Formats: sequence, structure tokens, C-alpha cells
Amino acid sequence: MATKKRYFGEWLLDFCSLACNELKQIFSDGGVMLIFFGAGLIYPLLYNVVYRNGILDDTPIAIVDEAACSESRRYIRELDATREVEVAYKCINMAEAEKLMQERKVKGIVLFPRDFGEKLQRMETATLSVYCDMSCFLYYKNALMATNHVMLQEIGQIQIERYAAAGFTGIEAAQLVQAVPYEENNPYNNAFSYSIFLLSAILLIIIQQAMFYGMSLLAGTQREQNRSFASLPGHLQGHGMGRIVLGRGFAYWGLWMIIGIYIASIVPAIFGLPQRGEFLNILILLLFYVTACVFFSMTFSTLIKKRETVFVLFLFMSPICVFLTGTSWPSAAIPGFWKYFSYIFPSTFGSQAFINMSTAGGDLSSAHDQMIALTIQTVVYFILATAAVYAENWVIRHKDEIEEKKEEFEKEIGIDFREEDIRIIRGEAGE
Amino acid sequence: MSTWNNIKAVVLRELRIFRQRPAYLLGSIGSITFCAIFFLTFFRDGLPHDLPIGIVDNDNSSMSRNFVQQMDATQLGKTVMFDSFEEAREAMMSGKITSICVIPEGMYADVSANRRPVFTYYLNGLYFVGGALAYKDILTMINLTNGAVQREFLRAKGVNEREIMGRIQPINIDTHQIGNTTTNYGYYLTNMMLPGMLELIIILVFIYSLGAELKYGTSKQLLKTTEGSILDALLGKMIVYTVLFSAIGLAIVLLLYHWMHFPIAGSIWNMFLAMILMVLACESLAIFIIGCLPIPRLALSVGALYSVLGFSLTGFTLPVEALPPFIQGWSAAFPLRHYYLFYVQEVYFGSGFAGWWPETIHLLIFLFLPLTVLPRLKGAFQNLNFPTN
Repeated sequence: MATKKRYFGEWLLDFCSLACNELKQIFSDGGVMLIFFGAGLIYPLLYNVVYRNGILDDTPIAIVDEAACSESRRYIRELDATREVEVAYKCINMAEAEKLMQERKVKGIVLFPRDFGEKLQRMETATLSVYCDMSCFLYYKNALMATNHVMLQEIGQIQIERYAAAGFTGIEAAQLVQAVPYEENNPYNNAFSYSIFLLSAILLIIIQQAMFYGMSLLAGTQREQNRSFASLPGHLQGHGMGRIVLGRGFAYWGLWMIIGIYIASIVPAIFGLPQRGEFLNILILLLFYVTACVFFSMTFSTLIKKRETVFVLFLFMSPICVFLTGTSWPSAAIPGFWKYFSYIFPSTFGSQAFINMSTAGGDLSSAHDQMIALTIQTVVYFILATAAVYAENWVIRHKDEIEEKKEEFEKEIGIDFREEDIRIIRGEAGE
Repeated sequence: MSTWNNIKAVVLRELRIFRQRPAYLLGSIGSITFCAIFFLTFFRDGLPHDLPIGIVDNDNSSMSRNFVQQMDATQLGKTVMFDSFEEAREAMMSGKITSICVIPEGMYADVSANRRPVFTYYLNGLYFVGGALAYKDILTMINLTNGAVQREFLRAKGVNEREIMGRIQPINIDTHQIGNTTTNYGYYLTNMMLPGMLELIIILVFIYSLGAELKYGTSKQLLKTTEGSILDALLGKMIVYTVLFSAIGLAIVLLLYHWMHFPIAGSIWNMFLAMILMVLACESLAIFIIGCLPIPRLALSVGALYSVLGFSLTGFTLPVEALPPFIQGWSAAFPLRHYYLFYVQEVYFGSGFAGWWPETIHLLIFLFLPLTVLPRLKGAFQNLNFPTN
């Protein structure tokens, strides 16, 4: 019993001293502070400012009205009245409109062919052409939505007029034209705002990425100074991986829970992003997510040997993480391999859970699968982080032997140029 | 020694650094290879298909079943049946389905009796592309259903089939998607994501290359190699990196427009030019950043912050005109923005020199940036009087 008690006491003592030591490290390193507080606190604000109004209104389009009939004129008026497009130019022929498009003064062209009015009079289908600038899909979406909505409206109008001429009016005509009226609901993102969708997805990615970069920066620094991130306190004599991982992890965890609450709860409030979830649920999500991120970062920071290389080697993963969440590109269309690849990152599940709970307003059950995935990630990354600490300690203890083997190997295959390189890069003295 | 010899010595020295520290080549060639494989395989489908659309069929008539079957048969949609709206709503909230169609009770009976039952649908606009495409699919299907009802009526009245079409659909739209006829998201995004990744990589790797000289105190040796000329030193470094990054850039252009057959209206040679200009502009920016802040980690952090923002401010996803007015102007500070404007002219409109010449000038202006920081950078290289960590 006594030994057990002593063990726990010692464990707790080590745990606390490791956590305190780590916090001291974090706060005494300017680079890490810049990433944690600069990126962690300012980046979410910056993105919110950039994407403040995520809706593209009044995309300029050009009209080529060769038909010049009352129907085409009414169509044009209604197009101009839509939210999506604005009739910026009326051109006499396609060549003029094409030139405007190439000069990027308009983002779409609507052409009413010469026979548009005639065909309507003959009760045939009249076709109008829309030419879209595909360089940005929001232009295309606007041009397409506006012309299609007006088309549906116009079809109804024309049919009502025709049925009226045939003696059907009022309810009777409406029943013929639209037997099944429909009602549209887009509850979470009413106008398909680009900002609401993107910001909900990237807020939690910022947590993961900033934590990973900061932690790697610190790990790299410590490795450079030959006191590894993973090295164990002397008295442990090679045991107690758990305390190292948990003790150091706790320092990051505490810090990032605070920054996490700021990012997930305060930032959306400042910028008026929808916050339909309950604060308690968001807090529970953060508990799971930040824990998974800590062990994830700890595992992968093992790969960083030098301080700055984390940016050079891993910054490109940030935009890729956004695609992997499945919020922009639907997860139904993500190829199998990349779907499995996305399971590596806590952000995949964290973002989805955040969108479902905070933006869509679901309760914990709407993030059920994601929570389970985050728990599995936490366990797996805890084991991997412990293994990494163990492996690194082994390497540190066998450093000389490994170095010797490496030199031998280099000599053997004839790439023994290290010394000469260093001399030329660093100067004759080999400073 | 002449300038030429100085530059040659720097070039040879730089190649030795590559051999010594694999991070440079791994960070440039390795990362871009990964990105190329990622984007070209991730958007393999081009346009998503079989998006899950939830159906709550309260009617269970031949008409509603027919509607569900037709919806399932569309390329975009795949129907998922739910017994109650509550279940469907939870599935939509948790992102499992893109949308819900609620077929009202007694729809068939109401349609037959001219009572106009209301069909309701719900979209999840938070899963952006999926939501928008499901919206399009549902709208098409419900209008076709209405058309079918009307067709039955007209047939009963004895209108012939040829005329029925003109009556059901008096107006039709014929859409022309210029430069991307199949609405392929892969073309749209990969075209810009890969150069964007290259921009990010150039800025970081080049800042790191210059910063490492400061960090390891080798910058004195670098200046010694060029007999104290910072210009020669930077030129030598730029030659090595321009060759490296241009080769990567040209490989990207070849990969996209030649091997993968991405549509291009203009000439691939002009895209080579755009790429090389962007490489030079990004390198100049990197020199400018490290020149202003000769502290390697600060410069790298600023470079990282800047280059990630480049994706947002280039305006290929959310156009620049939709950004807040005080942000719009900043887009000009990103070489990627000018590359984008160049690429739109060449790839979509094929307008050639007349279309994109202003962008070449804008990109060349970036080359003047390093000149403003030369003295400061030389001082830092010579005296190593800035913190290295």
C-alpha cells in the first residue's frame, strides 16, 4: 500500500513539474508565443474580417437582345431585379458582349435569339442562351440561378396568360400551371453565404494547425539545443513515458482550452456568425477535440528536427485539411484513399462536429460519430506519442553508435562529402 | 574575381547546402508532388454525383414512389428513405444527407382533386457544394413533376405531343460554360490551388534559405564568397532557386494543360511565362520579408501568415469584389492574384498579350522590392546583430 501511495505521489509530482516546466518553456519562447497567441488569437479575427460579407450580389452581365419583343424585355427587367445579377450593359451583338466579357466588365452574357418572340407566339419552346465566366464558380452560380429563377417565373406567367385566353382563370389556371407548389427551406445558411460555410469549417482547423506548428517549433528548438522534447527527468531512469506525455500535454491542453473557447465561442459572437448550439455542448466538443489535437501534435512533432523546418515541410497541409473536412467538397465524392487519409487529422471530425452543433444548432447526438472518432484518435495518438517518446529516448541513449554506423555506411556507398560541404558552407575555419 | 565568378561560387555553394540539408528539396519538390497527387485525385469525379438526398414519403402513392425513383435515377442524387421528418432532420444536421424532401400526405389524391398539395424541401447550406447541387437537382425534379401533371391534362384535352412540349416549357435555357464545359470542380480548383501551393512553398523555402545563413552564422562566409557584394550573393541564390522553382512551375503547367488535358483556350507557352514571372515575384517578396525582419523565425512566421492569406485574397473562390472594401486593395499585394488575372485571360479567353500584358508589369514590379532592403540585409548578414532564435 505504501509503495503504491508513494508511486502515485511521485507520479503526481513529476506530472506537475513537467507541466510547469513546459508552460515556462512556452512563455519564454517568442516564436511559440507568436504562433499560439498571434496566429491563435489574430488569425480567426483576420479571416472573419476578410470574409465579412460572403454573398456576391449583382454580378454584372451583358444582354444581347436580338429578339426585341415584349417577352424578352420583361425577362431582362426581371433579371435586373434579381439579387444575383445586374444588367450592366445592353449590347447590339455578341461580338460587343464578348469583348466586354474578355475585359472582365461583365461575368456573363444572356442572348435572346432573333426568333425568341416568334417561337413564343407559335407556342413552341423558345430558347435563350446564357454564357458564363467559369473562372470563378460564384459568377457561374449567380448567372445560372438568376436566369433559371426568372425562367420559372416567366414560364408560369406565360402559361397563366395562355390558359386565361383559353378560359381557365384563377385557381383553376394556377392548378394547371403548378399542380404541386413547393416551399424552400435553407435553415442553416439561408442565402448560401460563402462566409458562414467557410468560417465554420476553418475555425477549428486553426486550433489544430497553430497548436501543431507551435509545439513543433518548441520541439525543434529543444532538439537543436540537444535537450530533447522527449528526454526524461534523470531520476526516472528510462521509465514513466506516460507522465512525460500527459504532463507536457497538460500544459498545452490547458492553454488551448482557453484559446479554443475564444475561437469557438467568442469569435463567432464578435462577428455574428450563427451560434445555435449550447455553450456546454461546444465545451464538451472542445474537451474531446483539444485533447486529440494535443496528442496528434505531440506525435507528429517528433518528425521535426530543426526549429523552422515545420513551416517549410508542413505548412502546405493547412489548405489540404480544409478540403479533407468534407464541407466544401461533399464527403460522398471524396475518393476512398483520401477519406481514410482524412482520418489522420482531428480537424476532419472537429470541424464537422462544430458545424453540426454550433452552426446548425444540433445537440451532442448530431456529432455522435465525430465524438467517437475523436476519442479513438485520442487513444491512438496517446499510444503513438508515448511510443515516440520511448523511441527518441532510445535514440538519445544510443546516439554515438548510430552516428558511427551512419558514417560507416556513408563511406561504404561513397557519399562521404559531409566535411567538405561544411568547410565550404561555413568557411575555412569550419566555425 | 569578377561578378560572374562570385555568382558562380555562390551557386556551387548553394548546391552543397542542398546536399547537406534535405529540407530544401523535400520542402519544395516533395510538397508540390504531394499536392499535385492530392488535387488531381481528390477531384477525380469533376462534378460530385450520387449525393445523399433524404426523402420523407408521407404519401406512399404510385405518384410519390415514381418521384423518388426518378430522383434516385438522376446523376446528382441518391435517395435515402426516412420514416419520419425528425429522423431525417437529425441526419441532415449531422451532415449525413445534403437535403430533405418532404412529400405531403395524400399528395396524389390532392393533385387528382386539384387541391394543390405543398411539397417542402430543406437544404443544408453548410456543406456548400453538396447543398447547392442537391438544391439544383430537387428544383429540376419538382418542376418536371409539375410538367408531367400538366402534360396529362393537355393530353386529355387532345393537344398533340409536339405542341405539348411548347406549352409545358415555353422557354428553355441553353447554358454555355466558357472554358469549363462540364462544370468540373477539379479543373476550377486545381488550376489555382497548385500555383497557390507553389507560391506558399517558394516564399517559405526562400525565406528559410536566407534565414538559415543568419541562423547558423554562415552569412559572413556567404559574403566572403562574393567579396562582400550582397547583390551577387542574392543573385547567385536567386539563380539556383529560380531554376528549381521554375522547373517545378513548368512541370505544373505541363501536368495540367498537357498531360491532364485541362482545357486551355490560349497557348501553354504564355502560361510558362506567367509561371516564371510568378516565381520571380515570390522570390523577391521572400527577400523583402527577410530583409525587413532579419530574424529567421519571425520572417518565416510572417511568410506563412502572408502566403496562406494569399488563397483567400486572390479571389478565385470568393471574388475580390465581394470582400470588404478596405480589404480589396490588398489583393494586389499577392503575386498569386496577378497570376490569376493572367491565367483567366489566357486559359479562359485566350486573349493573348493584349489581355494579360498589365499583369506581366504588375508581377515585374515585385522585382524592385528587394532593392529597398539590400543595405539592411547586408548589415544583418555582416554583423549578425539580430537574434537568431
